[in-house]
Amino acid sequence: MRFDSVETGVYPTLVYPPYASTAKRGPTQAPLRIRAAEPVQTNIAVSRNLILPHDTDLTSHGQGEPLGEKIVITGRVLDEDGKPVRNSLLEVWQCNSAGRYWHKRDQHDAPLDPNFYGFGKMLTDDEGRYRFVTIKPGPYPWGNHHKAWRPAHIHFSLFGNVYAQRLVTQMYFPSDPLFDYDPIFQSIPDLAARQRLIARFSLEQTVDDKMLGYEFDIVLRGRDATPMGL
Amino acid sequence: MASNITTSQTIGPFPHEAWRWGVDASNALISGAPTVTISGVIRDGNGAPISDGWIEAWLPDAVAAESAQAIPGFRRIPSNDDGAFCIEVSLPTPATAGKPVLFATIFARGLVKHQFTAVFLEDDSGLAQSEILAQVLADRRATLIARKLGDAQYHWDIWMQSDKETVFFDYV
Repeated sequence: MRFDSVETGVYPTLVYPPYASTAKRGPTQAPLRIRAAEPVQTNIAVSRNLILPHDTDLTSHGQGEPLGEKIVITGRVLDEDGKPVRNSLLEVWQCNSAGRYWHKRDQHDAPLDPNFYGFGKMLTDDEGRYRFVTIKPGPYPWGNHHKAWRPAHIHFSLFGNVYAQRLVTQMYFPSDPLFDYDPIFQSIPDLAARQRLIARFSLEQTVDDKMLGYEFDIVLRGRDATPMGL
Repeated sequence: MASNITTSQTIGPFPHEAWRWGVDASNALISGAPTVTISGVIRDGNGAPISDGWIEAWLPDAVAAESAQAIPGFRRIPSNDDGAFCIEVSLPTPATAGKPVLFATIFARGLVKHQFTAVFLEDDSGLAQSEILAQVLADRRATLIARKLGDAQYHWDIWMQSDKETVFFDYV
């Protein structure tokens, strides 16, 4: 396993004044590049028993259908060599179609949907593919600045096959008019890196008249990321 | 060659419900080894506690001792309203001198990329021979060392900024 250095601009700028919360929280020292045997060789092993059937269908958690636009999202998780990241835990969380999170601290004056909680988890398959069904999240205001609204997004948490591949990110939707005004999205200097966070609409993945399809591939750090035995 | 990796974004303030299962699965500890507790506070550049942060601890040398756990060698812990956290750590037997007792990943609102770090115990006899600490500037090594408070109790604060800024890693 090898971890190349990441080019300047691919990661967000850790202290980015337009995103106010970074001012006192983003580290000011450059990360120290080190060699450490364990993190690049091992990772957590999540039992399939911890993944329940309804974890991949976020629309199935209530008594009825959630409000909003039902969608399916799928993609492959790959390493930098294009090899699949297999049997790897992936978690998602998001707000509902009205822009409200199922969270006690979310004060946005939008309705909670009793049939939509907005969280799921799954394992990638032997090809590194994942797939889940959900509702398109709404934009929401967040108080960072005047007229601050987040583009619609879904949070992704990935473990990869080894510890140092860990990634938390957000998936956005094509052609969102809020991209140019969102300091979280804008904290990524590299334009191509920003574009890689935008899912692609897919007619192929669209399911009849049931739900629209999106594809979102994810490339984790590391070369030759699937160790022997996985 | 241009990198094609997927870049990072903040966890935001709202992952708690989605991540709760991992907290539940990792913190009711069943361990076949002796344990110690490492507690502390995550602080921002002003010293203010970060009350919506998260720590994930990875204890590769404790996996065997925790084979009865739902997720052996792993902890997921949200900071509390005071920014405080507490991690119960299985000590490997035999002891592995000079190695971290855990690798930690830090997440929070306002932290647009999660940060990797590690912590050692101050009474580890192998600190002077540690391959990882040897790569850290001498005057910053203390940020990675948990101070002994008492029997099986250690203290370790995480500082995101300031002259106490914790050393964060990027792996080769």
